[in-house]
Amino acid sequence: MVWEYLSYIFWGVPWTLGLVGGGLALGFIIGLPIAIGQVYGSKGLKAALDMYVWFFRSTALLVLLFLFFWGVFPAFGFKLDALICSIVVLGLRTGAYQSQIFRGAIESVGEGQLIAACALGMSKLRGIYHIVLPQALRISLPGWSNEYAIILKDSAICFALGVQEILTRTRYVVMATHEPLLPYFIAGALFIVLTYGVTKIINIVYEKAKIPGLVGRM
Amino acid sequence: MSNEDVVLKVENVHKSYGNNKVLTGVSFEVRRAEIKIICGPSGSGKSTLLRCLNLLTQPDKGHVWLEGEEVTDPTTDISKVRQKIGFVFQEFNLFNHLNALRNVSIGLEVVKGMKKDEARKIALRELGKVGLEEHAHKYPAELSGGQKQRVAIARALAMNPVIMFYDEPTSALDPQLIGEVLDVMKKLAKEKLTSLVVTHEMGFAQSVGDEMMFMIDGKILERGTPLQVIQNPKHKITKLFFEHIAKLYMRQVR
Amino acid sequence: MSFWEAFLPKIFEGWVLTVEILVPSIPLGVILAIVLALARIYGNKPISLLAAGIVSLIRGLPLIVTLFIIFFALPKLAIYFSPYWSAVLGFILCTGAYQSEYVRGAIQSIDVGQSLAAQALGMSKLKEVVHIILPQALRRSLPGIANEIIYLILYSSLASYVGNQEIFAWARHFNSLYFRPIEIFLTAGLIYISMATVATTGFKIIENKLRIPGLEVAR
Repeated sequence: MVWEYLSYIFWGVPWTLGLVGGGLALGFIIGLPIAIGQVYGSKGLKAALDMYVWFFRSTALLVLLFLFFWGVFPAFGFKLDALICSIVVLGLRTGAYQSQIFRGAIESVGEGQLIAACALGMSKLRGIYHIVLPQALRISLPGWSNEYAIILKDSAICFALGVQEILTRTRYVVMATHEPLLPYFIAGALFIVLTYGVTKIINIVYEKAKIPGLVGRM
Repeated sequence: MSNEDVVLKVENVHKSYGNNKVLTGVSFEVRRAEIKIICGPSGSGKSTLLRCLNLLTQPDKGHVWLEGEEVTDPTTDISKVRQKIGFVFQEFNLFNHLNALRNVSIGLEVVKGMKKDEARKIALRELGKVGLEEHAHKYPAELSGGQKQRVAIARALAMNPVIMFYDEPTSALDPQLIGEVLDVMKKLAKEKLTSLVVTHEMGFAQSVGDEMMFMIDGKILERGTPLQVIQNPKHKITKLFFEHIAKLYMRQVR
Repeated sequence: MSFWEAFLPKIFEGWVLTVEILVPSIPLGVILAIVLALARIYGNKPISLLAAGIVSLIRGLPLIVTLFIIFFALPKLAIYFSPYWSAVLGFILCTGAYQSEYVRGAIQSIDVGQSLAAQALGMSKLKEVVHIILPQALRRSLPGIANEIIYLILYSSLASYVGNQEIFAWARHFNSLYFRPIEIFLTAGLIYISMATVATTGFKIIENKLRIPGLEVAR
């Protein structure tokens, strides 16, 4: 009887990946500019960015989820959608963490690179875009794959908002069948495969994209 | 020469790493109060030899006896044997999380089970012997290379060993710091502390060494008094080696 | 009774329970981390593989799933843990597994010469690890361990989903009664932030007390 429900759990995978992908993408869009701002920006800008990073790294995820879902979103008049809200919260948080990964990578690229670019006549922005970032992004890959693993696990917490991802569905099956062993085993197996499988893929990408001699911070 | 005088007996020691034959049959004896020097080009197996003698590295073949007890016997308690050997490393290997005093006393406290106060008293005394009592509370990172090596010697001495092994003790030091370490070693040699010294320092070898062994390609090629081996070697290779060393030495002095 | 008069005492009760859950979890987590790291480095093949397997398994599972397995699935195998002990056990396993990676890395970063010197003095492997390796490795892994403990504090809210009436459980309860989400969840959030801040400061103090010149993070 439980077997019929198993496909129901498997259909949570696209939702989970949606949460993770959406969160990571949003985090990238937020994190990279923050990193650039923290390395090259003015004192005031750095202070503001530091506050953002500090806030989103010091708050409990569950609290943030509920705060946004029940409080912030309605206050701004947005629709109450568990998936969107979760992606936004995950994105804001991972943006803070990713910014530190990128920042470390940018800083390890070394001043000389940007100075050489400007000496060639590039504007600072162009120099960052064409010279610093391609190196920094490659260096960031290992830390980034770590971030993926973390968000994957955070996505499970979004069951608290009712997003139709793996854990929500697993709990539903357990409640319906009173059989917790198999569903949780499946859920656990799914998370383990998603963690290590994708991390392996990211490692392969990292190896392929590696530039010989480009020493990165691991 | 009775057998009781033999502190260390080494017989036919071999060691290979894969296809690389580092030691190809080394045999010798060290008598009590003897200062024995080992020298030779790098890669000749000198460091590996010392480490095989107290089983820091496991030899493939051969036997070693310390004061009659067979070190290479698997039933022997190697910890007890090692306590009788004072080992001084090229890279000092002081314990980074302990100050100088504790570096010297920890062997007494942890291995010999001495009470803390007694151990630290002895440690302070040993540091005094190497001229470093005032630095007892400094950490290794706060000491110069020469000071570190002297602490390392004090650490080895504190255990009251029957023989000292020195593995190129001055090779990692800046030239101006070598003297302070050699002075300590000379003092200990004059006090008749049995020693086996791997070194390039020919001045030291000639002034306190009793016998010198020249090693190449994993075996001892020549032996004799330092004067004999350095000035009147039997083999061409030995001659070339010492000429090379002399040139380097002259360059440094100039 | 106004909202705040009702809410604050209960939130305080919840905070006390959170602390009660964290107090055993943190030190036992560190101990587990050390055991796992030592098993992987010094253990024989089967022990080393077992430890590696445990670490990989726990690191691959979300903490909430680990908690649910302990609280909801294990009873089917006749293994029963109370809400409190489910949370504590889950936290110990999770933080222990993550911390063990830091400890393991730190042990491996210790120069081999330290081992050689210890052995040359006649120390047994056990004495070498206890007196020479661990004191250095634990200092080196302190930043990583501190990081994981801060994470644990922030994720302790998950304990509310296995039956613990801690901070977050009360927050949800009051939100469903009074529906004042911004005040309620900001308060809860503030409590977690202050716990994290206290912990961060605490670790900075510990790091300074344990600092030894020359024994900074290895590069």
